[in-house]
Amino acid sequence: MGGMDKQRDFVLRTIEERGVKFVRLWFTDVVGTLKMVAVAPAEVEGAFAEGLGFDGSAIEGFSRAYEADVLAHPDPTTFQILPWRGEVDPTARMFCDITTPDGQPAAADPRHVLKRTLAKAADRGFTFYTHPEIEFYLLKSSKVGPKGPQPVDAAGYFDNVPGGTAHDFRRRAVRMLEDLGISVEFSHHEAGPGQNEIDLRYADALTTADNIMTFRTVVKEVAIEQGVYATFMPKPMAAHPGSGMHTHLSLFEGDTNAFFDPAGQYQLSKIGRQFVAGLLTHAPEITAITNQFVNSYKRLWTGDEAPSYVTWGHNNRSALVRVPLYKPGKGQSARVEYRGMDSAANPYLAFSLLLAAGLKGIEEGYELPPEAENTVWELSESERRALGYKPLPSSLDRALGLMEDSELVADTLGEQVFNYVLLNKRREWAAYRAQVTPYELESNLEIL
Amino acid sequence: MSRQPSTLTELARLGFAELGAARDALGEWAERIEAFGAAADPDRALRLLVRLQEQHPDALRPVLADPAWAARLIVVLGASEGLGDFLRRRPAELAALREPLRTLPSAEQLRRYLAAAVEGSTAAASPAQVEQARTALRVRYRRWLLRIAAWDLEHADAVEALPLVAAALADLAGAALDASLTLARAVSTFPAEEVARTRLSIIGMGKAGARELNYISDVDVIYVAEGADELDNARAVEIATRLAAETARGIQEPGIEPPLWEVDANLRPEGKDGALVRTIDSHRAYYERWAKSWEFQALLKSRPLAGDAELGERYCETVHPFVWASSQREGFVDSVQRMRERVTEHIPADEVDVQLKLGPGGLRDVEFTIQLLQLVHGHSDDRVRQRDTLGALAALAQHGYIGREEAASFSRDYRLLRVIEHRVQLDRMTRTHLMPRDVDRLRVLARATGLATTADELTERWQQTKIAVRSLHEKLFYRPLLSAVAALPDAGLALTSGQAEDRLAAIGFTDPKGALRHIAALTSGVSRRAQIQRTLLPVILQWLAQGADPDYGLLVFRRLSDDLGETHWFLRMLRDSSGAAQRLTNVLTASRYVGGLFERIPEGAAWLENEEELRPRPLAALLDESRATVDRYEGDIDAAAKALRTARRREVLRLALAGILDVITVDELGRALSDVNTAVLTGVLSLVHRYGDGIEFAIVAMGRYGGAELGFGSDADVMYVYRDAGAGEHAQPRAEHIVHELKRLTEDLRLPLDLDIDLRPEGRNGAIVRSLDSYRAYYERWSLTWEAQALLRARAVAGDGSLMTDFTALADTVRYPDAFPEADAREVRRIKARVEAERLPQAADPARHLKLGRGSLSDVEWFVQLLQLQHAATVPALATTSTLDALTAAADAELVLPVDAERLRAAWLIASRARSALTLWSAKTADVLPVDRPQLEGLARLMGYPAGGASRLEEDYLRTTRLARQVFERGFYGTP
Repeated sequence: MGGMDKQRDFVLRTIEERGVKFVRLWFTDVVGTLKMVAVAPAEVEGAFAEGLGFDGSAIEGFSRAYEADVLAHPDPTTFQILPWRGEVDPTARMFCDITTPDGQPAAADPRHVLKRTLAKAADRGFTFYTHPEIEFYLLKSSKVGPKGPQPVDAAGYFDNVPGGTAHDFRRRAVRMLEDLGISVEFSHHEAGPGQNEIDLRYADALTTADNIMTFRTVVKEVAIEQGVYATFMPKPMAAHPGSGMHTHLSLFEGDTNAFFDPAGQYQLSKIGRQFVAGLLTHAPEITAITNQFVNSYKRLWTGDEAPSYVTWGHNNRSALVRVPLYKPGKGQSARVEYRGMDSAANPYLAFSLLLAAGLKGIEEGYELPPEAENTVWELSESERRALGYKPLPSSLDRALGLMEDSELVADTLGEQVFNYVLLNKRREWAAYRAQVTPYELESNLEIL
Repeated sequence: MSRQPSTLTELARLGFAELGAARDALGEWAERIEAFGAAADPDRALRLLVRLQEQHPDALRPVLADPAWAARLIVVLGASEGLGDFLRRRPAELAALREPLRTLPSAEQLRRYLAAAVEGSTAAASPAQVEQARTALRVRYRRWLLRIAAWDLEHADAVEALPLVAAALADLAGAALDASLTLARAVSTFPAEEVARTRLSIIGMGKAGARELNYISDVDVIYVAEGADELDNARAVEIATRLAAETARGIQEPGIEPPLWEVDANLRPEGKDGALVRTIDSHRAYYERWAKSWEFQALLKSRPLAGDAELGERYCETVHPFVWASSQREGFVDSVQRMRERVTEHIPADEVDVQLKLGPGGLRDVEFTIQLLQLVHGHSDDRVRQRDTLGALAALAQHGYIGREEAASFSRDYRLLRVIEHRVQLDRMTRTHLMPRDVDRLRVLARATGLATTADELTERWQQTKIAVRSLHEKLFYRPLLSAVAALPDAGLALTSGQAEDRLAAIGFTDPKGALRHIAALTSGVSRRAQIQRTLLPVILQWLAQGADPDYGLLVFRRLSDDLGETHWFLRMLRDSSGAAQRLTNVLTASRYVGGLFERIPEGAAWLENEEELRPRPLAALLDESRATVDRYEGDIDAAAKALRTARRREVLRLALAGILDVITVDELGRALSDVNTAVLTGVLSLVHRYGDGIEFAIVAMGRYGGAELGFGSDADVMYVYRDAGAGEHAQPRAEHIVHELKRLTEDLRLPLDLDIDLRPEGRNGAIVRSLDSYRAYYERWSLTWEAQALLRARAVAGDGSLMTDFTALADTVRYPDAFPEADAREVRRIKARVEAERLPQAADPARHLKLGRGSLSDVEWFVQLLQLQHAATVPALATTSTLDALTAAADAELVLPVDAERLRAAWLIASRARSALTLWSAKTADVLPVDRPQLEGLARLMGYPAGGASRLEEDYLRTTRLARQVFERGFYGTP
């Protein structure tokens, strides 16, 4: 409370000192799209005190829940000057929490869903940290050419393209992110042409989710600046790998990493094992959130290191959950990597569910199944069945069916977000199914 | 010289408990034996004396020789183990008790005495020298604490002495901080000339600021600094921050002489995270911009306590205006409610019965009420801006804001509680607010306070005081409201209407002017009624303010009082039965439906006195009354029907009250409302259809009425049937005439009874009434599944007995068929699917529609009805018109899993309850869970959620119905 006030002071002072002309208030809708309301500096103080009213019906997911207006309350700890607006017209941004007019958190605010889930973890003494590796493609433009999207270059894995677009782009993006207070851990060129990966440094899940939203915006801005186009679409090109968002997860109890036990297998503690068991048990039902588009399933089910089966392993790049080995003495960095999610997920909702699934594993004391030691996609169907490797849902439709029966998902998202996602995604599936695709025309028209 | 050994009787008279041990231990102290009579705990006094004597015989010799000195020591030791420990540690301090204090020392005197302890310290002082100076400071503090305690304990009337003692303790704390600051300055490693130019003031907050400190408690402070003689403020704050930290260490860091108390600076701007020291400007900027209302309330007590007095005064002049403007800020009402909650919050269950400070009737209760009055009225009247509780109480009384007599008695009560608290703390010098449980400790406490001589007597006095304090809020806050609009004969109250409006707004009335007008209307005049209202209204207002809609509650209360004020029972009930009065305020703030009915039937308020009156009346009694009414009017049909309608309103009001006050459950309510309908229909039918008019006639209840599952605002679904009994071709027209008359005579614009005949064969296109033969022919010819389904809840409720029996027999053949083909089941499913698609209003959210929505009433009913059609012929228990009974029967017959049945039942119940609550709240019928927050909140309160439960209700409703829908889809549609 006191710290918050100090933060607000800092924000108002900085707005004055830096001559900020506009402040963008950011929040995220249920689908994971960033929404912004721009206000003049003079309104910021009022927005802190009472929130800023806007018409909720304009926002995905809010319309059904509230006919009345909702209020956006900026979170002063998220204040940043936006680097890409230039010094001429300095603009800043803050993330917002959304409330109803009587001050209760809006049920349809994804940021609140995550905060509520984090609070549940905190009640059990846990804080949740995440570290995502975000993949995306750089294309020449958003226009689709005759042969599909056109990547900016054709370089392979780890190739450095001297003076090339990718290089400039990365340098500029990293710089901007750092200006925004977001540390970038590592960046390299991924396997597909024009594909890039940037890793965000470890942070608590709420900060990370905010950072992912910022990151996407920055990447899109820099791309425009450089005359190219960036996309987080899970699988833009059939012939090249999709864009995943492998995310490292860990739980801390106070200052102690709860996943670390020097005596455990792969130094994974009992809590860590139960957490992974929770992730595996509930992975199919949360997939509609971690992989929320029709297109997401094209990434999941076409190999290229995307995990299609519910397995875990150590340094097994085909497993859904990977347990890396840490350097000696680095117990604090103990973590597990969830490899199912893609870059287009709503991070607030996805993190909420990953955490909820893991916590459920701890609460119910789930047993971890045996490790997958083979490369899962090289096994035959019956081998996989024999080994008990269950598949992730093969389409958005199936994923929605599993989600609908999930009390874990309903509980975590809250009834209103839960309903809205089902409704919205069912619409997407129906629209998709109504298509007659080039594939059908090519393979059917001439012979039928 | 020697004295006869004391007798055990004598020791007992003086208050010793362990007589034999005392006699053996007395020794030389036998000469001072009478002095033990004044000790709270003579045994302890003696035990401590003996121990002192063993350790420091020389120090004690002169004491023994001086009767007055010895007596003083005995009193102190008898009351305080803590001070005894100090004396054993510092026997030289026995000297402090040689002479009595004639008056308590002034703040200035204490300042000088304690400052002397740190004289001569310089920056060159070694750590040991600093420690020595600190020790000297602490010893001197305790020396004075000892003397003040002795003065307090020897005072004839502790309650009288309390304000003086509390002020002296605050001054002593200020002097200690002052000396510690002086020491901090002297030994500071900053350049001396810069230290000298650093001005630092320590502001006392809380009880220290108000000069009403306890014997031992945290001392709340705020630091303010500035540079003098061109030292810039930033540097001054830097130096002052170190000085402040060092000052606190001087008081609270462990040392050879134990620390005094905690110096708590957490009330500063931004709390723990904020800068420890700020300039005045920085404080002002903070309060201008950020401070929350509760922070202003804390500032009310702020006072320069130590350090630079001039700077401190300027600080107070700067921040005090914020305090007095706070009642005008948005959110004040909420923060008052939170303050109020702080009175009763967080009391560990095992402390409830021994808490002096928290809980109703505790010290904080008094402080809250006084502060609230100050904040409300101090805005426009600077004469009530005292820092201390007792001063504020006196000022509020002097200027007419509260009654003089009440003020005097609460001043006494407050001091009495404080005296008990002081003595409890003195005992072991611990910061406690708990009464001892042990009878022996209670007896000691009784003697220490001088309030009583036995444990029981003390407990009794404390309980009485608590009870008196509990009513304090009402007496001080609400009662004076009346003086703004009516002359109160007593106590010189003189609240203006503006002041009264401020108070009403502070507790949540949104139209304080209107509220005041109602209060005026209720209380003005010299009638007995106005007199009684003047006594009652304060507490009524307090209860109304706790409800969901206080303004509406007060309006209806006034209307009721206007209607009933002259009756003998209304005022008596309010006055003598606080249960009834509180129930009345509950229902009035919760329900517009009830408010509307009360307008017509004010006498219904009488039932609130007696829970039995709120029980639904049995159908037999209702029917008896209908019959008697019809007989009484002897053929005046319209008058008789009017009387029957009035009776219906009365019974509905009774059920509404019962529903709100949780006297009946929702399924009892459904039956009772159905019975009320049946009674009025039976009465009216007997007016328009008599034996011998050539036909037999009966009314068949359908739908929720047939199922005896009505809620408030439900339609009454019915069908009519007749049988020719001689009328021949006139039979049909006669039956139709009866139907028209039924509709006309039951029509009630105030409380509609919509007789809905849409469920009859052929629906809206069908004849409004049919003969039994026509029904039979129709069902034989068409046998449509939806007709069979509608008949499942058909229940003949009024008319000629044999016709009712025959109709029921006919209905049974249709609704409980021996076999129900799968094709028919599919037809039922198809119709349901179509209804889902078509009946739901455009733009309605299916998740929130209480009747036709996802997993709500109609899903559960169709689910159950399909099972009934399929299995009632073989499972007799399924042959019932009640949805819930049929559901139970289906579960018993293992047609549905128990867990699924439970989900369906839960959804049916929550949707039914929400529908009824919605009508009660708004007096309108609606079928959608509201999105409007105030409405949702009102609904939540009616459904038993605590204040602020709107979101929880929403979440519960959505979850319960979603789970029911899953069961429905699986069981009804057969989706996997």
